[in-house]
Amino acid sequence: MQTAPPTNPLQEGLSAQRTPEPCVVVIFGATGDLTHRKLVPALYNLAHEGQLPQSFAIVGFARRPKTHDQFRAELRDAVAHSSRFQPINPAVWESLAQAIFYHQSEFGDAQGYQKLNAFLQKLDAERGTAGHRLFYLATAPTEFIGIIEQLGANGLIHSQHAPTASQRIIVEKPFGHSLSTAEELNQALAGAFDERQIFRIDHYLGKETVQNIAALRFANEIFEPLWNQKYVDHIQITVAESLGVEGRGSYYDGSGALRDMVQNHMMQLLSLVAMEPPTTLDGPAIHDEKVKVLRAIRPMTPEQVQQFTVRGQYARGSMAGQAVPAYREEKNVSPDSRTETFVALKLFIENWRWFGVPFYLRHGKRLPKGVAEIAVQFKAPPAVLFGAESTTPLQPNALVMRIQPDEGIAIRMNAKVPGNALNLQPVKMDFRYGGSFGAHSPEAYERLLHDAIIGDSTLFTRRDEVERSWQIVDAIIEGWNSAPAPFPYESGIWGPPEADKFIERDGREWRRP
Amino acid sequence: MPDTAQLQTFTAGVETAVDVAQIERQLHELWQLAAESAKDPSQRQITRACLLNFIVFCETDAESAHASEVISTLTSQHPCRAIVLLVQPDVASAELSASISAHCHLAGTGQKQVCCEQIAIHASGPGVAHLGAAVLPLLESDLPTVLWWQGDFLKRIDLFRRLVAVADRVIYDTSTWTDPQPQLGDLARRITEHPRCSFVDLSWTRLGLWRRLAAEFFDAPNCRTELARIRTVDIVHGHGPGASLRALLYGSWIAAQLNWPVAEARQKIHLSAREDRDATSVGILSIAIKTDDATFSIRKNFGESTASATVDMPNACGLPHKRAFWPEDDTSLLSQELDLGTRHTVYEKALALAVIEDVSR
Repeated sequence: MQTAPPTNPLQEGLSAQRTPEPCVVVIFGATGDLTHRKLVPALYNLAHEGQLPQSFAIVGFARRPKTHDQFRAELRDAVAHSSRFQPINPAVWESLAQAIFYHQSEFGDAQGYQKLNAFLQKLDAERGTAGHRLFYLATAPTEFIGIIEQLGANGLIHSQHAPTASQRIIVEKPFGHSLSTAEELNQALAGAFDERQIFRIDHYLGKETVQNIAALRFANEIFEPLWNQKYVDHIQITVAESLGVEGRGSYYDGSGALRDMVQNHMMQLLSLVAMEPPTTLDGPAIHDEKVKVLRAIRPMTPEQVQQFTVRGQYARGSMAGQAVPAYREEKNVSPDSRTETFVALKLFIENWRWFGVPFYLRHGKRLPKGVAEIAVQFKAPPAVLFGAESTTPLQPNALVMRIQPDEGIAIRMNAKVPGNALNLQPVKMDFRYGGSFGAHSPEAYERLLHDAIIGDSTLFTRRDEVERSWQIVDAIIEGWNSAPAPFPYESGIWGPPEADKFIERDGREWRRP
Repeated sequence: MPDTAQLQTFTAGVETAVDVAQIERQLHELWQLAAESAKDPSQRQITRACLLNFIVFCETDAESAHASEVISTLTSQHPCRAIVLLVQPDVASAELSASISAHCHLAGTGQKQVCCEQIAIHASGPGVAHLGAAVLPLLESDLPTVLWWQGDFLKRIDLFRRLVAVADRVIYDTSTWTDPQPQLGDLARRITEHPRCSFVDLSWTRLGLWRRLAAEFFDAPNCRTELARIRTVDIVHGHGPGASLRALLYGSWIAAQLNWPVAEARQKIHLSAREDRDATSVGILSIAIKTDDATFSIRKNFGESTASATVDMPNACGLPHKRAFWPEDDTSLLSQELDLGTRHTVYEKALALAVIEDVSR
């Protein structure tokens, strides 16, 4: 018998993208909002770009009774509404639609999984998908563990008919509600899958600017020598939202800003900005460096929580000229809720590179605008030369990575104002993705789904990262339990005044993004 | 110093004549005026963006107009300084004149405009001798330079040599050449003469989907073993411009990638022409790769911009499927090439084999 060459020589030079192997994507929660708004449009976009394998299928798994054709028709509308390629390309859609199927079952019904297994094996025979599976948990988090257990118990993970095939699982956030619930979820996952088969999705990591953090730091020699406590005064990471809880009151009231945004997205941003250069750009090497950063974050005692954090809750106010209700007046929110909708933190990373450099993290809802950015604030130059002469105070350099909107990078530097006087003025060098590369960046879910299909975990979070983030966050929540209620702030301003005082005590101020 | 009306004319894409020696100065003053206007909140903010120098060589007014049209769209994805050269050495009167204009696009959802400048230079008669000296100072430093040559550069080899010396990439389209096949040897030689420059033929770019579909047959390891068992590759092409060259390049690509010696390539690859009445035709009509046990087929669907791939084999490697061809207009093809930005070693290997294969046929 002839052995296959290790690589396909005809693929050389065709695309920098790795070609995915045959695969069936099984989406649990197939009738939900995430599937319609993000997942299937992203899969259609991948099909449009020719980045799906030739042998491919999508199976939607949900409770509601529905035929394959009804499901396809719903998804066609969803794609027409949410795809970045408009209008929908009939040839691409027809080809994809032939590969879409629906499987109706309760999430806890073992028979439903057995039937799913039989259906997937039938698809393997008909469509050449060779037993490769990607399970996507797009359901409510309460269903996660039950689905994982059913997959394991009904032979969907270690398939006897295709023992060498890959089975992977994507888990949507939240990964638990605390360290103990995260461990419980991770335990259930570990009982059924190896860690390399598990893809914990954090859609922030699929954004271009976030991926560009490593490129900026490690592909440009001018930045890395300055990226340490000698030259950096502090780092600010801001994720601001202008929206309120938008119908998610019942979930959000049990969660809050810290769990909803800081534990996952913001800790990931922090670890990417602060990590040491990885030995390679492979997933495990990057995860190793990120988790080292998280482990080096100084844990807070309950007393320090009062000193190093501020939390707030939005009150009535106005956004874009419209009056908006207070958080406690939102639907499904307790009228005496103590849940924070704003949080500001000061964290320290106790390693050689970052010793003494504060990392200020700020997130809130109903802030003046929706914006996410990382600002590296450099130390001020000695005031010997320009301090006395200049009529305006010298502003230290800042490097700002904008994640949304207007993804890009800006550097603030000082320049002499033309004229006889020696006046210095800060000027901004601004690079915008939209302006320089056009508006054709793939959506975050597109990139992440493609990576999961080819088995690249670089842009996903590993178990130890998740658990360490929860340790940090749990300590803060514990400290808050014995603290006064969150400070109220008027909707439409940059959080409670206490947050300004918090950073001003350190002789610094929040950036106005 | 230009005034606001001139700035509006410039950013509206209207060409303004300038002295060749004053091009940089005039552009500088216009952008400075744009920066000052941006301070007025009632004015739309303008940002100049530039990621590459894009030189376009044209010999006729029609080619020059086409270049401007392509650049107008291309700059939304690939901001550049475009330098359009209209070169007419056979015209008696000596001329070296220039004009400038801008291509502006709204960035994202905002009101900011991202603009790129276009410099048009018309050189005729003895004025052509000054072309190189006129172009060199216009190149933006530290940015790659791409030369898109409309037409057959082998016929203007002296001019080509002068321009290729400043280029990092050369893009051309042999399907617009009158009789490209006998010139393949010369083309391959020119490529090897410029090892620091990357060359690509848009005829090769048009083969992208055909190459991808063939490659996908052999992605699964159980099908990859069939690569060593290929007996014949039958390529049927139409009679359209460049169709036979595309078929030759395609066959040479398979042979080169599978390391077939010339004799083996000649024995296994069969090219044939067929009457083609399909208005949507793109040159190649069908391909059949046959092994002892399997036939891998790709055919263009009549009247559609799609191709279908099928496998006739026990334990088939994948299902029959249909893919849409990528758009084949110059703007889309150039955009694809500018996205890649790498040297086409696979193309160069295929071309080198095509030269020998074509001669030995």
